Amino acid sequence: MKFVSSFICLLCLVGLAKAQKPAESILPVDEHGKFIYYEVVNTKIPKDSLKIRAVGYLKKQNKELKYKSAQGDTAFVASGKIIINKTLLVVGHPSGEVLFDFQVEIRDGKYRFWLTDFNFIPYQRDRYGNFVASTSIGTPLENEPGKLNNSQWKEYQVQTTQYAKELAAKFKVYMASKAPVIAPSKEKTVVKKEW
Amino acid sequence: MKIKSLLSLLALGLGTTAYAQDATPLQISGSVDTYYKYDFSKTGNIKTYFANEQNSVSLGMIDLALKKTTGKASFVGELSFGPRGQAQSIPNAAGAYDETENSFHIQNLYVNYAFSDKFSMAAGYMGTFVGYEVISPVGNFNYSTSYLFGSGPFQNAGIKGTYAFSDKVSLMLGLFNEWNQYSASRGVSSVGGQLMISPVKGWTAYINGLHGLDAYGNYSTIIDLTTAYQITDKFKLGLNAADLSAGDDKFGYTGVALYPQYAFTPAVSLGLRGEYFNYKGVSGAADASVAAITFSGNIKAGGLTFIPEVRFDSDKDLSQGFVKSSLAPSKTASQFSLAAVYAF
Repeated sequence: MKFVSSFICLLCLVGLAKAQKPAESILPVDEHGKFIYYEVVNTKIPKDSLKIRAVGYLKKQNKELKYKSAQGDTAFVASGKIIINKTLLVVGHPSGEVLFDFQVEIRDGKYRFWLTDFNFIPYQRDRYGNFVASTSIGTPLENEPGKLNNSQWKEYQVQTTQYAKELAAKFKVYMASKAPVIAPSKEKTVVKKEW
Repeated sequence: MKIKSLLSLLALGLGTTAYAQDATPLQISGSVDTYYKYDFSKTGNIKTYFANEQNSVSLGMIDLALKKTTGKASFVGELSFGPRGQAQSIPNAAGAYDETENSFHIQNLYVNYAFSDKFSMAAGYMGTFVGYEVISPVGNFNYSTSYLFGSGPFQNAGIKGTYAFSDKVSLMLGLFNEWNQYSASRGVSSVGGQLMISPVKGWTAYINGLHGLDAYGNYSTIIDLTTAYQITDKFKLGLNAADLSAGDDKFGYTGVALYPQYAFTPAVSLGLRGEYFNYKGVSGAADASVAAITFSGNIKAGGLTFIPEVRFDSDKDLSQGFVKSSLAPSKTASQFSLAAVYAF
């Protein structure tokens, strides 16, 4: 009986944590009413190094970001894609993708970057059982979805916000590092047969 | 004790979620569909595939698909159960078309290997690359299907390679068994190909060709054009045109269908299908043609889509056996249907 009540408590806590998530974790909007993740970072790293690092980062993220262009000498633009997953425990499938723009501007002693123009494209299962984009024109993520798809749309906004925060954190770590950031390899566990 | 074990497993599942997110998850998806149809002549006149039972709340199918990708290799396994995916599909588990068999139907069962970003190969039993509409109701805008769809092919077992020259052009070539069969009765007998071109953003066209042993035992050649253009965020236009010729003059058809669709909101769309289909006369006999127009709505709420639909068919050559409510022959047929399709 104790086990059952503990389990129910655990479920309630998980549910509560999940229920509180959407309200506090949706991106703010800019002056045009578009979702934006915006951050200014002050640093002591010289401007030239920041430039090299920013371009290096944008060009290395093959799957997440595609480097598009440089605007002048100190501004750089990339486009990105987030896959939205519908996941329950260890199974799930992609339900759509969010396309966005990523921009960086470098100045002496600081840089700023922002993610904006988020557009959602729903996926549809094709005849071969693969999930593919059902349209080529996305719907702005700020749009009100109407009552019918409200909860689903909120979930897309929450997942996008989480992703934007994670991408921002990774970008800042890269920009602050002297050497290219390499993910540390996991230590191998050695099993000894001595007994 | 059993409840405790079950809860322990659930708790373990919750606990392992974070770990599992690092790995490519097993994809589970599928659909469930059901419908009501009423033919205004009070008999099931329109015989195209699915939605054919008169004045009955009837079943479509439950469709279950698994997909797993590990590195460059992946597999897809998709099975369906229910009238749409059993007796009304070809073949059933016994490998034969039999209305009385109550089995399951394999929609897809294949493995794929991506040798590079540009070249991949797949082998197994796959949904056909020919045509606009598919068996799964999730893949179609209209619930009832076209004459072009009903003439097949539905699936092809074989091996195929696809090379993507760019995002805008790709070519698929493959060798296949006879159409709609799990295994070959006369060896690998068909060759097929698909050229995909995407001239502008939102417009994709597939030019398909397949030659070989068809589902009726004839050596046939089908040429098919399937294309769709998302002209604006609200308006989409689709087109399917096909010609099939049996080398020994036993069977053949030509058809064209146009699919304009307008999305009033992301959740509410209206679409039309206009189709002209011509059965080629066998051994010098006269052709017979049918025309059909279908208005469908798509109202989405989460995973659920309601599809109200009205359809009018014209059969000037009396090839379809339409009848009036008095059972006298008729050149026209019309029906209303309401389908509910849940995709997960």
